[in-house]
Amino acid sequence: MKKTWGVLGILLFVIALTAILNPRFLGDKNLLTTLRWSSLYAIISIGAAFVIITGGVDLSIGSVVGLSGTLLALLLEKGTPVGLAIAIVLVLSAAIGFAHGLLVTKMRLQPFIVTLCGLLIYRGVARVITDDQSQGFGNSYPRLHALVEPVGILGAAIPVPFLIMAAIAIAASIFLNRTVWGRYLFALGRNEQAARYSGINTHAISIMAYVVCALLSGWGGILMALDVNSIQPAQFGNFYELYAIAAAVLGGCSLRGGEGSILGVVIGSAVMRVLYNAINILGIPNTWEFVIIGLVLLGGVVTDELVRRWAARRRAAREAEEPLLKG
Amino acid sequence: MARALALMAVLASAAAGCGKEDAAAPPGDGKMGGPITAGGKVKLAYVTNGIDPFWNVAAAGAKAGAKEFNAEVEVLMPKDLPDQKRMIEGLLARGIDGIAISPIDAKNQVGFIDEAAGQTHVITHDSDAPASKRRCFVGMDNYNAGRAAGKLVKETLPDGGKIMIFVGRLEQLNAQQRRQGVIDEVLDRPAQSADALKADPPTGELTGGKYVIVSTRTDGFDYAKAKANAEDAMVATPDLACMVGLFAYNAPMCLEAIKGAGKTGKIKVVSFDEQDATLQGIKDGAVHGTVSQQPYQYGRHSVRILAGLARKDASVLPPKGFLEIEIRVVKKDNVDAFWEELKKLRQ
Repeated sequence: MKKTWGVLGILLFVIALTAILNPRFLGDKNLLTTLRWSSLYAIISIGAAFVIITGGVDLSIGSVVGLSGTLLALLLEKGTPVGLAIAIVLVLSAAIGFAHGLLVTKMRLQPFIVTLCGLLIYRGVARVITDDQSQGFGNSYPRLHALVEPVGILGAAIPVPFLIMAAIAIAASIFLNRTVWGRYLFALGRNEQAARYSGINTHAISIMAYVVCALLSGWGGILMALDVNSIQPAQFGNFYELYAIAAAVLGGCSLRGGEGSILGVVIGSAVMRVLYNAINILGIPNTWEFVIIGLVLLGGVVTDELVRRWAARRRAAREAEEPLLKG
Repeated sequence: MARALALMAVLASAAAGCGKEDAAAPPGDGKMGGPITAGGKVKLAYVTNGIDPFWNVAAAGAKAGAKEFNAEVEVLMPKDLPDQKRMIEGLLARGIDGIAISPIDAKNQVGFIDEAAGQTHVITHDSDAPASKRRCFVGMDNYNAGRAAGKLVKETLPDGGKIMIFVGRLEQLNAQQRRQGVIDEVLDRPAQSADALKADPPTGELTGGKYVIVSTRTDGFDYAKAKANAEDAMVATPDLACMVGLFAYNAPMCLEAIKGAGKTGKIKVVSFDEQDATLQGIKDGAVHGTVSQQPYQYGRHSVRILAGLARKDASVLPPKGFLEIEIRVVKKDNVDAFWEELKKLRQ
């Protein structure tokens, strides 16, 4: 929870600084686009958080994003009904996650290697099935495009991706904090052996986490593809796993596993997007993007570690004093 | 028997390789020749600088050239610079009669291009590396094309206004030349020589007469970023009047952003190349015009020249090492005819 406050602090700081330097940052149009982008990235970051909480990592997120967007466009072009096309993409994404989970648990392969191979394979498949041709939706499928457009609610325009992301985030949060499987997931991340010996089916829980991650990547890929409306199989979604992992870590997930909050991850994704937005709004050359995002990320992690040490020292000091006071 | 024939073929090609140097042989160690296949077919490669529908049209031209000039052409589309290097190294290792390259980084690839030029016939297309030992360059004058786009900007904004430029990456020579062409034309500056270009920095406003060029945004070929850049541009510069997309996908991404902001038609768009979304935008009036480079001719002429060089015919080389393919400016009045023709070429 403390970590969530920390990342919220970073977000507010970046927003305040950018708004002071250029007040247009807080205009409706900009809030709308930033909210839309943040939500799209938050969807894949929530998926990343599930795997990170188990102590694993999923490097294939960007490639799954690329494959699902490409496949959706390809299926629609071939005349597949919209509902069926989306279902095929999601089932395939889930199957990818299931395969990752099986390889990690039953074959005991390292998640890094399994998903690194995934990164290469799915990117390659996306390029092969399209023969590297750009895909797109043109002006067709207006109802499908409504998924990424704003909708009026109580007089305010809210991007639909935000509503979708909020629904996913609430469901994920309830799952993690209010159900027994959520507790198993944390237990597994903290100490897999202990979790297994206490009777938890750790394999099933791990596999579930990889399925959630791939499914959300697939779903995020569909939404991003609709939003951008033009997909280049070799590029679409490249590096997005790093954005997702960074957002999750910024939001309080520990790569050692067993820690993380969905709210933190959502705010973490917002930090990443707001930074990119700020770079554009303030007219900083785009070449600075990675430097700035990297420094903010590093700053966040270092501050978090310092605060943690300071708190631990204070606690130790208090515990050392208490017996004296009592005596 | 088969083995004997193969041996004879090897000896024959070795003899051809040791033949006397003539004008068509590239500077180097004279270890040319190699795998000219049976029936006189030459093996050529056409290497692009990325993956884009633009290159599919060029590939169609290269394939047509292959038929016309009795060659076998492999079209390779690398993802990035390391990928391009790897592909070319692969070609050289396997043996090839000629390569047409679109260099990603003209200055720093000189050494590599020279190395390749020592082993086979090398020409550049689309983007040049003038300092290298490439035999010639097939393409357009990107600086002049930029100026043509600048004219489109002035046409669509007769009363002046703020302009922003969008591009995938600025390290490519053609991007730099196009950008400078647009800037110099819009700001009514005299023409520069494309070889010794004095480029303005990417950020910082440039003003000249009625026009202000606010900045140039890069996206590293990430379409989502390209769209976000255009969206953010409209926020940072609320009175933005015109967006110029230097790479084929930039204008379509600008259009997406403009549509989302409900400013279609209000913010003018000037484009390069001919993606469907751009041409549709011209038909709908959302795009004022585009500067097309005729990539089909890049492919066809590259193959023609390489096939000639591989057959030791130096007369195929254009004067001054530059075969200029004329640009075509597409606007509302000629977009239908242009698109029809393009559809035929893409098949």
